[in-house]
Amino acid sequence: MAIRKLWPYRWLLLNFLSREIKGRYIGSVSGAFWALLHPLALLAVYALVFTAIFRVKFPELAGHSFILFVAVALWPWLSFQEGAQRGALAVQNGSGLVKKVAFPHELLVHASVLSTYVVHVGGFLLVLAVLALSGSDLHLLSLPLVLLLLCMQFLFTSGLSLILAALQVLLKDVEHLLAPLFMIWFYATPVLYPASLVPPQIQQVMAWNPFSYFISRIRDLLMTGNSQIGWQDAVMLAACLAVFTAGRWFFNRLSPYFEDFL
Amino acid sequence: MQPVPLIRLCQIGKDYPSVSTSGNRLRMIASLLFRRGEIPHFCALQGVSLELKAGESLGLIGENGAGKSTLLKIIAGVVKPSTGQIEVNGRIGALLELGSGFHPEYSGLENIHLAAALMGMSHAEIDRKLEDIVQFADIGSHIHEPIKHYSSGMVVRLGFAVATAMRPDILITDEVLAVGDESFQKKCIRWIEGYLAQGGTLLLCSHSMYHIQTLCQKAVWIHGGRMHMYGNSFDVTREYLTYHEEKNCRAEHQEHRVHPEGIYQIRNLWLEDDAGTEIAELEMGGVLRICGVAHSPDERPPVILFGVARVDGTSIYGTHSNETAYVPGRIAPATYGFCVRLPRLPLLPGKYTIRAHAMDPEGLRLFDTVNTTLRVTGQTRDYSLCRLEHEWLPARPDFAERERGAQE
Repeated sequence: MAIRKLWPYRWLLLNFLSREIKGRYIGSVSGAFWALLHPLALLAVYALVFTAIFRVKFPELAGHSFILFVAVALWPWLSFQEGAQRGALAVQNGSGLVKKVAFPHELLVHASVLSTYVVHVGGFLLVLAVLALSGSDLHLLSLPLVLLLLCMQFLFTSGLSLILAALQVLLKDVEHLLAPLFMIWFYATPVLYPASLVPPQIQQVMAWNPFSYFISRIRDLLMTGNSQIGWQDAVMLAACLAVFTAGRWFFNRLSPYFEDFL
Repeated sequence: MQPVPLIRLCQIGKDYPSVSTSGNRLRMIASLLFRRGEIPHFCALQGVSLELKAGESLGLIGENGAGKSTLLKIIAGVVKPSTGQIEVNGRIGALLELGSGFHPEYSGLENIHLAAALMGMSHAEIDRKLEDIVQFADIGSHIHEPIKHYSSGMVVRLGFAVATAMRPDILITDEVLAVGDESFQKKCIRWIEGYLAQGGTLLLCSHSMYHIQTLCQKAVWIHGGRMHMYGNSFDVTREYLTYHEEKNCRAEHQEHRVHPEGIYQIRNLWLEDDAGTEIAELEMGGVLRICGVAHSPDERPPVILFGVARVDGTSIYGTHSNETAYVPGRIAPATYGFCVRLPRLPLLPGKYTIRAHAMDPEGLRLFDTVNTTLRVTGQTRDYSLCRLEHEWLPARPDFAERERGAQE
């Protein structure tokens, strides 16, 4: 289905989106506060373990605090992880609709991923603002480029989620695979450590992880203000578009059969 | 110009995959992706071809599990048919099941927004029509409560209200009217009648033959995943009811026929119209002749009985030839013929059993039963079995006095 054909459904996407965002915190007392609590708790744990217990020190910090080093990477990572996990289950959770109403099923996945990005990017901007106000040395001028990277990351996440969501409908195993997969992926991504500390043999392998690119690039932009754009960025943009397109192809190929399996 | 069909189905079939092992599942994904290979399946629907033009109304009937809902889902675009082509030219409003497209945690109002967005309405359009929708649903202040607290009737009200606001080219409803209360059902039927009068097209699935007959011009009977009958809604519903009556009495009602030699018995039984042509079908109010040949072992003319019963065995009428001192005529040795004429047959359209028996001349012993079936055709909204002569008269002035007397 051409992406143009989704245009008449924009109201539906908007509706799904607000439903997703509201639905997360509906019935909870402090609402959106929880969206921030989870990453903040993670950040506090990492800070405690790595600065108070292990007392890590590496040259890449260059005068920045470890908290800042992890914070600029944690929110982008979490938007990916949570987005993909929610997106993967979006069709299954929306089975009530899929079985009874005709609409482009991919909207369910897009809404799940997009809502996660909205929540976490919002949290990210808030944390950056707090860090900047508390005197951390952040290059906020490169923020537009960071947002662009987050958009690329979103395309990648959506593409992956579409594939996972379609598979989840046909094979219920996907759900159980996700937790260990993202745990390993998290440690294979330089969120808690700089990529330069990794032994060279492993670095070769890590170069294939798109998130080592995203995380290193975002960190670079915010901490050193290095806003040079190279061929690598162009390749990544193309790769993200390719993943997104492939995901949609895969998903829309299988989506007519979803009703048979739900 | 011939009106363009809004819906055209050509040899539609639907198979549901029956997958059990994990190896099967993987192979199936591959074959779905690359569109080749066979998947083990069971067949829910087969070879359905239909056409629905603008302004037509079609009823869908059939037993549970016959494939009605699958067919509606295919037309609504929720299910992709496995075989055949489908063509839909128009905006479809589908009420496939109770509360389709509703989220239990959200309030009625929020769900109106969601359901309307699912039907393709924009925010502005919804806001404009919101008041009408709320008014049609008529569930009072409950509209602000989460619909998980609603009764099923209230959910249907909400769903139907959204569909009415959308004014679709084709309205598809799957047995949703049945849940509403009497007044809401009437309201819905009034709305559908108005909608049809304005050229709307309706696809209605229902187990209420009354709804089908009132709202639909044509009907399809789906049986075992195939189109069993298609035609005028009166004929199809009648045929369908007959099928059920027969099915119900098949178990209870066993025919007991005795055929020993040398007893009074009916050898042959047939039905004729007034011109003497053999028939099995008759227009309501027509002339029916029941004719037969009886055997008499001792050359004495037998007494003939005949009766009319509904197919489920409920008897309607019966009489015997002694009543009018009728004597069957001798046509051959030990063989007598008879004929009885029923002018203006008052039976309502449906399928009936005509029975005949032969008795000894004393009228003491019943020896045998011979059946034949008669189908009465015609269109009427009268109920039950037969039409009683009647006429409607205006009220007289003394009715008022009577009424006053009753109140005092």
